[in-house]
Amino acid sequence: MRNLSDQEIIDSVRKGNDSDYSIIVNRYKNKAFAMLKRMLKNDFDAEEVLQDCFLKAYNSLKAFKGEAKFSTWFYRIVYNTALTRLSSPKRKTEAEMTSIEDHFDLESEYGSDEIERKDVNQLIQDTIHKLPERYAAIITMFYLSEMSIEEISEVTGMSISNVKVMLHRSRNSLRDLILNSRLAKELI
Amino acid sequence: MIQITDEILNKYLDSELNREEAEQVKSALRNSEELQRKFNALKLVQDKLSILKEDEVSAGFTEKLMKKIVIRKSAVPKQQKYFIASVATFIIVLSLVIFGFSISVMISATPSSLGDTKSVFDSIPNLSDGLVKILKHLFSGAGLSIIGSIFSIVVLISGHFFFEMQKRSKANLSN
Repeated sequence: MRNLSDQEIIDSVRKGNDSDYSIIVNRYKNKAFAMLKRMLKNDFDAEEVLQDCFLKAYNSLKAFKGEAKFSTWFYRIVYNTALTRLSSPKRKTEAEMTSIEDHFDLESEYGSDEIERKDVNQLIQDTIHKLPERYAAIITMFYLSEMSIEEISEVTGMSISNVKVMLHRSRNSLRDLILNSRLAKELI
Repeated sequence: MIQITDEILNKYLDSELNREEAEQVKSALRNSEELQRKFNALKLVQDKLSILKEDEVSAGFTEKLMKKIVIRKSAVPKQQKYFIASVATFIIVLSLVIFGFSISVMISATPSSLGDTKSVFDSIPNLSDGLVKILKHLFSGAGLSIIGSIFSIVVLISGHFFFEMQKRSKANLSN
């Protein structure tokens, strides 16, 4: 069977075939969940917010004009909903208040023994969870959802150069973590 | 000669440098073991990030979500039904009150005496005359202002219901 495009599915849902919305849900749920999990650092919250995002998107389908790609529009909902959740009073106390000017030190998150015990795949997977929320979102959108820098800039509302800076900064942190571990001798 | 910073290495990795700059980075990489080590680590990170795995939501997530959508969709017409029913009931009750009041005024205006053997049907012409009089009275002067006030109250109440309904659907949307 032909793989329907997002626009074709949306048109069908708009015509009243609500069940077709499940195709969209199945297409985006795991990638959006990965992004939310890394932003909210909590599986339960991530799934709850994801459900809200799909409901919001469904209720606003009429407002979707098709000027941007559906994925960009949907990820904007996901990103903004996650930020709203993070700015809730309970979350605010826990959240890392980071911006483009802030610095983060992933190495201090780990003890040297901990780094030694992990293999590189595991280390990188785990480390992304430790990145500040905006950095984690950008890494996930760029590598997992394979979005372009321009699309990420549209989703996050940041300038293209800021997105690039944050992407590079995340990669440099991960690089330094690897360079300072025993993995450096084995792999590089 | 460009200075090989972390930023330049990242740009080189993303093929964002022009040919001349890329050549300079290549040559710097050949001449510096430390730089090569940094770049290889960066490339390793890039490769590992490119094979990031998706996280899976709990089983039955889609089914639960679709059920919620169906429930929410059917909930909106229900609200509208309540709204229409409440306004219609109010108008019917109001009409009945006006009608009942008119009849009672007409009956009290019709002359009657004990032992009057006329049937109820004989008083119909009198009733219709009386009804016309009352309607004239209602739609002129003070009567008209009373009807206007009642109508305004109905509009206000309907407006309130409508506003509440809109507010609720907006809240649902933003939630």
